[in-house]
Amino acid sequence: MDSKHLQHLYCRAGFGIGYNQSTTLHKTTKKRVVSKLFKESESYQLLEIDLSEFNILKELPYKKLVTTIGKKELRALQKKGRKKVKSLNVAWIDRLTNSDAILREKMTLFWANVFVCKDANIWHIQQYNNVLRTHALGDFRQFVKAIAREPSMSKYLNNRQNSKGSPNENFARELMELFTLGVGNYTEKDIKGAARAFTGWSFKYDGTFRLKKNKHDFGSKQFFGQEGTFDGEDIIDIILEQKQCAKFICDKVYCYFVNPIVDNNRLNEITEIFYKDYNIAHLMRYIFNSDWFYESKNIGTKIKSPIELLIGIKKIVPFSFHKPKQVYYLQKMMGQILLNPVNVSGWKGNTNWIDSNTLMFRLKLASVLLNNAIINLDEKGDIEGTFDAYYSRTKNRKQYIKANINWNAFNNEYLNCSTEQLKEILISSPIDPDTDALLANLDIENNKDYCIQLMSIPEYQLC
Amino acid sequence: MERREFLKNSALASSLFMVPSFIKAFEKYSHSTLGYKKLVIIQLAGGNDGLNTIIPYTNDIYYRERPALAIKKNDLIKATDELGFHKNMGGLKNLYDQGYLSIINNVGYPNPNRSHFRSTDIWQTASNSNEYLTSGWLGRYIDQYGKMPHSGIEVDDSLSLIMKGENINGIATKNARALFNNTQTPFFKKVIKHQRDNHLSEHNLGYLYKTMIEANSSAKHIFQTSKTFHTTIEYPNNPFAKQLKTTASFINSHVNSKVYFVSMGGFDTHNAQSKRQEKLLDVYSTSIEVFVNDLKKNDTFKDTLILTFSEFGRRVKENGSEGTDHGTANNVFIIGKNLKKPGFYNNAPNLGDLDVNGDLKYAVDFREIYATVLDQWLEVNDERILNKSFGKLNFI
Repeated sequence: MDSKHLQHLYCRAGFGIGYNQSTTLHKTTKKRVVSKLFKESESYQLLEIDLSEFNILKELPYKKLVTTIGKKELRALQKKGRKKVKSLNVAWIDRLTNSDAILREKMTLFWANVFVCKDANIWHIQQYNNVLRTHALGDFRQFVKAIAREPSMSKYLNNRQNSKGSPNENFARELMELFTLGVGNYTEKDIKGAARAFTGWSFKYDGTFRLKKNKHDFGSKQFFGQEGTFDGEDIIDIILEQKQCAKFICDKVYCYFVNPIVDNNRLNEITEIFYKDYNIAHLMRYIFNSDWFYESKNIGTKIKSPIELLIGIKKIVPFSFHKPKQVYYLQKMMGQILLNPVNVSGWKGNTNWIDSNTLMFRLKLASVLLNNAIINLDEKGDIEGTFDAYYSRTKNRKQYIKANINWNAFNNEYLNCSTEQLKEILISSPIDPDTDALLANLDIENNKDYCIQLMSIPEYQLC
Repeated sequence: MERREFLKNSALASSLFMVPSFIKAFEKYSHSTLGYKKLVIIQLAGGNDGLNTIIPYTNDIYYRERPALAIKKNDLIKATDELGFHKNMGGLKNLYDQGYLSIINNVGYPNPNRSHFRSTDIWQTASNSNEYLTSGWLGRYIDQYGKMPHSGIEVDDSLSLIMKGENINGIATKNARALFNNTQTPFFKKVIKHQRDNHLSEHNLGYLYKTMIEANSSAKHIFQTSKTFHTTIEYPNNPFAKQLKTTASFINSHVNSKVYFVSMGGFDTHNAQSKRQEKLLDVYSTSIEVFVNDLKKNDTFKDTLILTFSEFGRRVKENGSEGTDHGTANNVFIIGKNLKKPGFYNNAPNLGDLDVNGDLKYAVDFREIYATVLDQWLEVNDERILNKSFGKLNFI
């Protein structure tokens, strides 16, 4: 497979490709490389952090908890649990960097921005995250049904408060608007019908689903022109009968994996594929095996999400933070904190990641992480000396990000690469001619410096 | 050739060769003579429950539809025979008493959308409810009149649609110093200096270069203008107040920005509304009052208009979880020194005449308010920015 195409596939299905792997796969056919990606994602591990000290929270119902450990202690334990959500965030970042099941992990990240959810209960949100991971390449129908039963979702969109006689429409509305059909493809009447069907859908203290029969409305409802004593599962089945549902999901897949500018013919083509069986793996395999996926208009055209940017750097130059809260801070500054979406519509992506503030931060990210914020600059024949002046001013400033950087790992793979090869590995977009001229005019000391320089040009923001 | 002439020519020549056309374009307009009036837009994101903010405390329907949530007559700050402020809106009531507040009731638009995101887009782009625009109304103001990215500042870590123009975007910053320091990185300055082409903004790469150049030209101005200003007023300790404090420091130091945007979240109260809204209104009201005092102290209040909106109000009837679901029309607060019609601009909404979903029918189109602000406050052609002609109101 052509190295440019390999890089494109791995940027979209994962977080980029290293020099060694690119060289190894160079002689393999596209079909086999794609198969390999799926094969490596067949087995996977759930993402689980050590929560043993919180076991009791899912072993006893609330009333018994209060009598067993006392109200004050319970509150303290719950508070401690909320802080663990940050630990899960850090563990997820590690997983994205190190997992072999890269496609599954990338899909999990994608679905987390479709079925957007947030919860302070660490048991529930960890379980939710693993539902995303389990169904990431599976049957979309089962996926939606599983999501609707999750405690975290039930709380996030108030379905827990949705009961017979006094429905709460929040979940029903977002299910259709954001998870399956898109705004404008249903009526207010459909929302009222769906909300009634999901009444009484709740959960037990151990995180499993339960139907509160006395809260469920068993009466007849109207939904999409049909009438019946529908429950939540029936509603999801009727939604999936609409081809619009397949199209809505395919549109999201196309924007995320192919090109933020949607080609309607291609969208219709993959909608037909997905509508047949709602099988996510079939859809993704079709896309990655198609010729049009590799057209040059689709390569290097997508603006990386902050997480894609961060993981991409980490995969080239491995590093670990001294303090986990720093990885949280970076996510905040760039506008994407995993497990903490801004709202239920999720991150809009592409150019929405970029404004003056976030762009300057992102351009500086590699140097901040890897080189104490310094991007070396030795231009042939440069006499202005702005470099020294700037860094002498900033030299004494406190270093905020402290990380252990594994330059050895980088050198093992890249020490003997030519500068041209390093550039090809790091940059997938065509390089602006003026910037390319600047790069050509740099006095390159070593590949470490050059790597940071390349990661600091606007082109590195694209994949 | 005279030495002076030579210097002038060579400076001109080098600027032609070295400076990207974007920067040139910006510099051309940097001395444009826009008025000195400022506009601050605040969004209460999530859909604030207007009926429990400005309470129709003599309305039987209100009490009938909200057995759990209705606010009792003796638990609010009465303003007129019909309407009262939420008890935690004392700060706003003070502004009302001084004649600095005009409340426009029942503001909305035809065929209201009850999605947060869609309705926020409609309010921020000033579109019809069936129309999808990719630029915000303040962004289009920057495009056509401000001309510089920093003509509009969103005091946040990232930029909202309201500040995105067709060609120029506003600037997002909570910390002007950090932004300035980043743009001064020698490597970036070099990258910018090497740019000769007018990059096409429709491609993502062009968009990145353009944004980088915009950041560079604006961060310097914002930082260098505002760095010497320090307010002597104490603000409450919360993120919203901090954003207002930063906004005041930009306005009071005379940063060359015309429009500001600040958003405060948390108003989506589907359950346990009373306690939550109580806290939010307290934060909003106390912070706004301090903000106005800061502006007054620096003699900039007379030139500043503050408009607060929420993407929709909430349903008249409460839901089953001591909360309210998404609704439609809502009140808009206008704060300024010389208002034409302080107090209540129009009648309270008619709770006896609701739409099929049980929601309010709007009386004032929000774009009439925008048109009025553009025409009578910022003194620009409102039709050019709103793409349509709207009637004007009479509050400024």
